[in-house]
Amino acid sequence: MGENLRKYNEVFMNIFGAAESELNESFTFESVHKWDSLAHMALISRLEDIFDVMFETEDVLHYGSYLNGIKILERYGVDMKA
Amino acid sequence: MYLGLEARPRDRAAVIDDQGLSISFGELCSFMSEMKNFARSGAVVFCLCENSAGAIAGYLSFMDNGTVPLLLSAAIDRTQLAVLKQTYTPPYMWLPERCLGEFPECRAVFRRYGYVLAETGHRFYPVNKDLAMLLCTSGSTGSPKLVRHKLTNLETSARYVSEFFGACEDDRPMADLPMYYTMGLSVINSYLYRGATVVASSKSLMSPEFWDFYDSQDITVFTGVPYSYEILRRLRFTAKEWPHLKILTQGGGKLKEKIYLEFAEYAQRTGKKFIATYGQTECSARMAYLPPEYAVSKQGSIGKAIPGGELSIIDDKRDFIEGPGEGEMCYCGPNVTMGYAENRKELLKGDEWYGFRHTGDIARRDEDGFYFITGRKSRFLKLFGVRVGLDDCEKIIYSKLGADCACAGDDREMRIYVTRPDLSEAIVSLLSDTTGILRTSFRVVVIDRLPRSGAGKILYSQLPV
Repeated sequence: MGENLRKYNEVFMNIFGAAESELNESFTFESVHKWDSLAHMALISRLEDIFDVMFETEDVLHYGSYLNGIKILERYGVDMKA
Repeated sequence: MYLGLEARPRDRAAVIDDQGLSISFGELCSFMSEMKNFARSGAVVFCLCENSAGAIAGYLSFMDNGTVPLLLSAAIDRTQLAVLKQTYTPPYMWLPERCLGEFPECRAVFRRYGYVLAETGHRFYPVNKDLAMLLCTSGSTGSPKLVRHKLTNLETSARYVSEFFGACEDDRPMADLPMYYTMGLSVINSYLYRGATVVASSKSLMSPEFWDFYDSQDITVFTGVPYSYEILRRLRFTAKEWPHLKILTQGGGKLKEKIYLEFAEYAQRTGKKFIATYGQTECSARMAYLPPEYAVSKQGSIGKAIPGGELSIIDDKRDFIEGPGEGEMCYCGPNVTMGYAENRKELLKGDEWYGFRHTGDIARRDEDGFYFITGRKSRFLKLFGVRVGLDDCEKIIYSKLGADCACAGDDREMRIYVTRPDLSEAIVSLLSDTTGILRTSFRVVVIDRLPRSGAGKILYSQLPV
């Protein structure tokens, strides 16, 4: 696993108290009970700090899932394989 | 009728919600009269609220009818709900139809607007004749401590708040804060009082659905707690003009300076009003506000008392301090509630506070008479605007994990001091699960021993930061 993906996973584990094995395609806004607006705020802030990016409003609102987040970050130039 | 609702134009919309329901003032008044046939006056009714037309219409009927609602979140933790039900044995519940199946003991007697009035099988018991409404002091730690409101608390509060907001019939306030939260309820009451149309949504501010709805409703007033404004900032709210919006108002704790200034300056630039307010559940929400013309020059101040109220500060000897100074802030006004209840019997109690309240907050008053909150006497934090009792948390940890601990912190994070390093993870999970507050708001600090006085009391001042 690359360094960036490890950092990304750590943010999720920290905020949601999730195990790394739970972080997959089914980890979504709808399915994770704890993913409320507070958690979402914390998630976005943390990711912006760690990866030094600024998300567009649309991306904040439609972040939606663990996997989609990876795609969004890649669009902002973060190499998730590095 | 409650809030003078019968005096409003009958065909004007009173409440619109994000599920497509719209209720006019006329229809609302008929509904409120109809409800009298089903809910007994003087009985306690648990309302499981979402911000919807059904929840609001039910609440208003109960207020009008003398049935005593306890407003709770429809999403309240079911263990906490069970404790409350056991403590207060409500004869009725008003709940979303979809939740009815969860309560097999309940018998539906009346349905409307996606809500249902159910009899619980609990027997009617008497409460104080002045008791009109109940709210939880802390939605988070599941403490069954309630605040007892009388009708005049809510009606005078609605009148004064609508006065300083300049609320009018043409307003369309966004009811985004939960209605079981005192300030959320205050938005609903104070705008309905002036015949405005309340626009209600339970959707998260972080969801596209919320903003689609918001965009379609020509909202004139937005009310938020500090974290609402953090979200707005992140969503670049101030990059848009929002031509209908007249007022941005904030309460529930202090905004970070940077965010405060961004919104105060945005309001100034776009000809809107930015109004910081201060309030407590114990005083039917708002107690002080900062007039928008001072938003920048008195930044960080909660302003002065609302019309009809009076603020003061007292010293350690409980003497009033005149002129500039610092001390515990007290409030006097018709919106001060009757007191607390911790069990069913205490619902019989009358007014114990007589319109005067020690806020538990320490404030500084400047030479112009503006108040600034500088600290807190009481042992609670406000994490994301949610009040969390520190002693409650210590008890929860002790009862669930059997560990002595000391809880302290500020409104950014709670620190839990323990001597056992193996419990860190369990404590964070326990508190986050019980309170529903984000895990990252809790930080466990492992220390060698808890500092205690000779009498065994924890010495919070000696805890490391």
